[in-house]
Amino acid sequence: MDVGLALFSGFVYWLSSCKVGYTLESSLGSGLFIGFMFGLFFGDMITGLALGASIQLVYLGMISTGGNMPADNALAAVIAIPIAMKSGLDANAAVALAVPFGVLGVFLDQLRRTSNSIWVRKADELAQKGDIKGIFKCAYIYPEIVIFFLRFVPVFLISLLGTDSVISLIESLPEFIITGFSVAGGILPAMGFAIILITIGKPKLLPYFFIGFFAVQYLGLNNMATAIFGTCLALLVIFEKSKKEA
Amino acid sequence: MTTDNNKVLTKKDLFTVWNRWYFSTELSNSYDRLQALAFCNASSTILRKLYKNDDEFKEALVRHLEFYNSEGTMGGMVQGIVLSMEEENAVSHAVPGQIITGIKTGLMGPLAGIGDTLVWGTIKPIIYALGCTFALQGNPIGGVFPFLFAIITYIAGWFLLKFGYTLGKDAVMKLMKSGTINTVITGASILGLFMMGALSSSYVSVKTPLVFEFENANPIVLQDILDSIVMGMLPLIAIFGIYFAFTKKKVGYNTVIFSVIIISMIASFFGILG
Repeated sequence: MDVGLALFSGFVYWLSSCKVGYTLESSLGSGLFIGFMFGLFFGDMITGLALGASIQLVYLGMISTGGNMPADNALAAVIAIPIAMKSGLDANAAVALAVPFGVLGVFLDQLRRTSNSIWVRKADELAQKGDIKGIFKCAYIYPEIVIFFLRFVPVFLISLLGTDSVISLIESLPEFIITGFSVAGGILPAMGFAIILITIGKPKLLPYFFIGFFAVQYLGLNNMATAIFGTCLALLVIFEKSKKEA
Repeated sequence: MTTDNNKVLTKKDLFTVWNRWYFSTELSNSYDRLQALAFCNASSTILRKLYKNDDEFKEALVRHLEFYNSEGTMGGMVQGIVLSMEEENAVSHAVPGQIITGIKTGLMGPLAGIGDTLVWGTIKPIIYALGCTFALQGNPIGGVFPFLFAIITYIAGWFLLKFGYTLGKDAVMKLMKSGTINTVITGASILGLFMMGALSSSYVSVKTPLVFEFENANPIVLQDILDSIVMGMLPLIAIFGIYFAFTKKKVGYNTVIFSVIIISMIASFFGILG
């Protein structure tokens, strides 16, 4: 049992889900940043970052429409990264280990949003009295206290009691299961990209996806190069369209 | 601050609202009212400044506790428009509350659509994916790269709030109806799709280790044959297999995750993928 790690994991998960800052919260909860934090904790930045990035890729396209989060990538990262770092599991296999926790995290968020109804009701009464300090507490302080208990406590306990048994379980698994996890970890980022295709890809724009895909396959462009070419391509189309409209 | 008699709000007031909004948007999100409490809390101190009359003030607070949900960054524009309307109402008493609520609820949907596409569908994945590139090279910049997304959207939202406040509802309505916003979305989608094509090419890895051995002949390495037909065939099949599972079969997120894991286990057991 590693109390220090459990405390740290609980803290990172609370930080990543504290909901402070509309887009800041997404940065704090990104697999990349969580990988970075565990990299610092274990003094092994390279492994931490590689694990964080691999988990990040699965959740790249995720959008919480109407506040409903489809999966909790922060919980996935917070549980899987320390286990992978301690057991030496490769990054792809860690991804497959992570995703079930991403599903579990959704339930915690549902609990949170259900409990938030209490504060809205309370705010209704306070608004009648014009008590803006009270409304501030309902909008800020009370939900944050709930978040602390919902986020810190479960992860602290899971890390404290579960990490060692998961690691010994992994060590006892047959080879093909570990390979299977790695295969799944290689495929799962496809889901992240498929979701983005659905969100931003009108069917008539899909050729741009294929240009990007094969530019890397055949020409071996790196990501910065594709960002530059992609921006030029997008600007050309914008200029052409606005010329027609003018 | 300004010579216009109807203008009592300063830039500092607007900035206060933006900060109170940005730092608590999703904190109090509940199933029944979503971002309503955050919206009310964001403008509460400014509403106090605007309405000297207690009853009008309380009425305004109750008004902004009504159901509200939009994309937070683009939604800055709604905050701005609402502030300009409340300000006008505080001076002239001529803007009925239903009109303010009507504008809010009328704009929140379309703006959420634009914001989800631009902010969460394009800017975020591109920045995060570039962060992954750095991280996989072992560069610690990758770990803090996501904060670039927070900074860009924080600044953008503040400008959108000022924009909404200065130009008011008519200008925003006009902008939404004009083709400009569609052109911007198309451009962003093209950049996004191009980048996602490139990134998926780098980061989705599916390979087969299958080799057919023959006597007196070179072994057939299946992966080499697939590569000679189309490079990256298996990753593409994975991406579009999942794409069609979502669009045509309407399966859920978790079904896809667990199907991928089970298929991978089976394929790994028989040595088809690895």
